[in-house]
Amino acid sequence: MSAATEVPMIEADHASKWFGDVVAVSDVSFRIGPGVTALLGPNGAGKSTLLRMLCGLTPPDRGSVRILGADPRKDISVRARIGIVPQQEAMFEALTAFEFVRLAGLLHGVEDPAGAARWALDLVELDHADHRSTTTYSKGMKQRVKVAQALVNDPSIVVLDEPLTGLDPRQRGHLIELFGRLGEQGRCVIVSSHVLDEVERFGSRVLVVAQGRLAATGDFRAIRDLMDDRPHRIRVRTDRLREVATELISSPGVLAVRLEEPTGNRAGAVIVDTTDAPLFRRSVAAAAQRADATLLEVSPLDDDLDSVFRYLVGR
Amino acid sequence: MTTGVGAPKQAPTVHRGPALGPVFAAEYKLLLRSVCTKGRLIAIGLLAALSVLTAVAVALSNPFDPLSEGVGFVNGNIATLIPVAVLVFGAAVIGDLIDDGSLVYLWLRPVPTWVHVLAAWAATVTIVVPLVLVPVVAATAIIDTAPELIGAAALGGLVAVAGYAGIFVMLGIRFRRALPWGLVYILIWEGFVASAGKTATKLALRSYVRSILGTMTDTHLKLGEFSLAAGIIVPLLVAAAALLYASRRLAKTDVA
Repeated sequence: MSAATEVPMIEADHASKWFGDVVAVSDVSFRIGPGVTALLGPNGAGKSTLLRMLCGLTPPDRGSVRILGADPRKDISVRARIGIVPQQEAMFEALTAFEFVRLAGLLHGVEDPAGAARWALDLVELDHADHRSTTTYSKGMKQRVKVAQALVNDPSIVVLDEPLTGLDPRQRGHLIELFGRLGEQGRCVIVSSHVLDEVERFGSRVLVVAQGRLAATGDFRAIRDLMDDRPHRIRVRTDRLREVATELISSPGVLAVRLEEPTGNRAGAVIVDTTDAPLFRRSVAAAAQRADATLLEVSPLDDDLDSVFRYLVGR
Repeated sequence: MTTGVGAPKQAPTVHRGPALGPVFAAEYKLLLRSVCTKGRLIAIGLLAALSVLTAVAVALSNPFDPLSEGVGFVNGNIATLIPVAVLVFGAAVIGDLIDDGSLVYLWLRPVPTWVHVLAAWAATVTIVVPLVLVPVVAATAIIDTAPELIGAAALGGLVAVAGYAGIFVMLGIRFRRALPWGLVYILIWEGFVASAGKTATKLALRSYVRSILGTMTDTHLKLGEFSLAAGIIVPLLVAAAALLYASRRLAKTDVA
C-alpha cells in the first residue's frame, strides 16, 4: 500500500494469533496510514481477532503490532488516541447514551466530557437529552452510541468492527460518509466488514482476510478486478444437454464443461468453468440458438463471498 | 453533519492523561450501579434478614449467656454470611463485564488497571457493609448490647468485608466461573482444610477475623489465637496483595 508506507499509523509485522489448535490470524504483515482502510473477509476469517490485536486487547502469539509507533498492549498512553467500536452489543446497561459517552470522554481525559459527549452523539444523530437506558435501544441505535463513544476523544486511530450492523440504509449512508470524512481529516480509520458492496461504498483501500491470512491488499477496484478475473462456474439448464454442451465447449473463455443428467421432472444442466463470466453470459444465448435448444436457467454457482475469498486464499 | 441544540461544533480537547480522582469516582459509581442487580440485592438481603431472625431466636432462648451467644452469632456470620455476600458482589463486579464483553469500555482507556480494580473493591465494600454488616451488628445488639461485643462485631465484620472483597474481586478477574471457586474457598478451604491445625489456620482469613472477636470480647475462640493487630493487619495485607495480583492479571487479560 504505497500511501500507507510513508506514515504507518498502524503496523502489523508477521502477527499471528491462535486459540488452542485454531489459528485465528496467521503471519499477517501490513502498514496503514491516514484514510479509510476496509478489512474485508467472511465471518470467522479472523477480522475481529486482528482488530483486537491492533488495539492491544489481545496480544499476538508471534510477531508484533504497533499503533503510532507504540505497543498498545503495554503503552497505555497510546490508548487515548484510539477509538474502538467493538463487535459485541453489550454496553453498561445502567447508563443512558449520554452518560455512557460522557464516561468514555472522562476516562480518556477529555477536558469537557459532557460537552464532548453531546458533540459525539450529535455526529451520529442521537439525542443527548434522551433519558432512556441504552437497554431500550434498537440494535442500530446501540451501534450509533458505540460509534459516538469511539469518537468522543477525537482519536487519531478509529477501529470499527462491523459498525454498520443493524443500521437502516439512511444511517448506513450517514456513517459511511462520516467515516470517509474522518479519513480525509488525516485519521486512520479501519473498518471491518463481510459485505462486499458495503466495502465498495467506503471507496477505500482494502485488506482481504480469509482463514486468518491476508489474502490480498490494495485499492478496492484492483481487488474487485482480481475477484472478477477468477474462474467462474455457471450452471446452464437446458432441454438439449449434449448439443448445448458441444456448442459451449468451443465458446471463448470456456475452460471445461460437465454434464448434469436430468433427474425426475428436473431438466439436465451443463456446468461450465469460464475465465470470463460476462463474455460467457453474452455468448450463451447464441450457443443455445445454434443448438436449437431452450435455456431454462443460467445461474452462477460460486458468486458468494466465501468462494471469492477461497479463491483469493488459494491463489 | 447536523448540530443539535447546545452541542459544541468543535472536536473535544484531550488532556495528556485523565485525572485519576474523577476517573476513580466515575468507575466506582458505574460499578456500584452495574453490580446491584435486583436479584442479588433480594437474595443477599433475605439472607441478612434471616440472620436478624436468628438473633431474635437466640435472644429468646433459655438458658442464656448473652456474651457467649453473641460471640457465637458473630463468629457464625463472619464464617458464612459475610464471605458469601462479598463473593456474590465481589466476583461479579468486574467478572460480569468480562463475561458480557463490556470490559473493553474500561480497559481500552489510558487508565491504569489498578484504578478499575480498586474501584471494584470499593464498590463491593460499599454494597456489603449496609446490606449485610449493618444488619449483623444490629442483630448482635439484639442478643447483647455489651460495647465490646458490638465493637468486635463491627470491626471484625469490616475487616472481613475488606479482606474477602480483595480476594473475591481477584477471583472474578482470574476465573470465568468465580462463584463456584469462591464457594470452594469458603466452604472447603476456610471451613475444612484451614481448621486442620495451627499452620493451616494461618492461611485462612477467618482465623484472623475470629482473633479480633476473641481478643476484643476476651473470649477464647478455637483457631482464633492471633493478636488484635495481626487480626486487623493480615486480612488487609491479603486484600492488598490480591488486588495487586488482580491489577496485573487484568492488564494481561484477553479482552473481548
